[in-house]
Amino acid sequence: MATLDPTSVKRRSPLKQRHITNHALFKEFGGNLLVGHYGNNESIQEEHSQAQILAICDLSTLPRLGFKGPGAPSWLETQKLKIPTLPNTAECQHAGSLVAKLSDQEVLILSDIFALSNDVATLSDKAEIDHHNYDKQTYILPRGDSHCWLAVTGTKASEMFSKICGVDLRTHKFARGEIAQTSIAKTNAVVIRNDLGGTPGFYILSDISGVEFLWDCLLDAMHEYGGYPIGFSALQRLIKSS
Amino acid sequence: MKLLTCPLNGKRNISEFTYGGEYHAMPDHRTSSARDWAEHVFFHDNAAGVVTEWWCHTASSFWFLAERNTITDDVIRTFKADEIYQQRVEFTAPETEV
Repeated sequence: MATLDPTSVKRRSPLKQRHITNHALFKEFGGNLLVGHYGNNESIQEEHSQAQILAICDLSTLPRLGFKGPGAPSWLETQKLKIPTLPNTAECQHAGSLVAKLSDQEVLILSDIFALSNDVATLSDKAEIDHHNYDKQTYILPRGDSHCWLAVTGTKASEMFSKICGVDLRTHKFARGEIAQTSIAKTNAVVIRNDLGGTPGFYILSDISGVEFLWDCLLDAMHEYGGYPIGFSALQRLIKSS
Repeated sequence: MKLLTCPLNGKRNISEFTYGGEYHAMPDHRTSSARDWAEHVFFHDNAAGVVTEWWCHTASSFWFLAERNTITDDVIRTFKADEIYQQRVEFTAPETEV
């Protein structure tokens, strides 16, 4: 399979050089360029197995969007999204996207893992129109430019996090859909528990300017458990195989 | 380890927080003198005893208030700012300098 050039598209991950050095093969998923897998084609099965133990995947080129302001949750409800009742909880939508309520006045929307949902693009366009003369105090936050998006998966993930994060992320303490806004390796981050199939999964959103540091810290913390980076294809397989 | 309870995120290491200064009720900016406004913005009581302070949970950029005893360093309670601020404050410039 011919690999795509990550420098040929507008939206690139700041980690692209690390992926290239690691022999990544880039692939298009729903119009977004991500690492399909590393190395040769046989590695996809290997990465799928690793994802169930401990692995990390860079999702920074997938669409995401935020809204803030007293009117944000109610405006999003008018757009047919299910907004969680409690802050610091996330809910999966019918189209597959994930809606995370970060506070009573702030909501984050993440694209689905198959990059098929149009929620983010639709809401972005709709917000431009609706908020032009909008007096309900709803402000759009372009999270795709401000935050990186990483996924850490596997049964060893919680144990690995205990080395670099003060919040107890063990799966019996940190339920599916829970959110912790905290510090990981001294970096501010939003951690969302979002299992992929039957495998524990954690999304990390953090300042995009520091993603190379965070990536290296996570790899360092994963090292003793044999964890390593995997491509997007292996993540998708976690859901397909469940 | 010192812990502080954020009203939004719960109990966290103090290293996740930033101190934001003493809380004082804001004077009406349309009628207060430049001196009163400067007092509000720049000067602090530095009282010994229970004071109300602004704190920010930096990981979530969430500003809240804490009642703290500055003698014992005990935090009596923390609470969301909307206990005090329930309406947006509109800042309109005075027509003439006060």
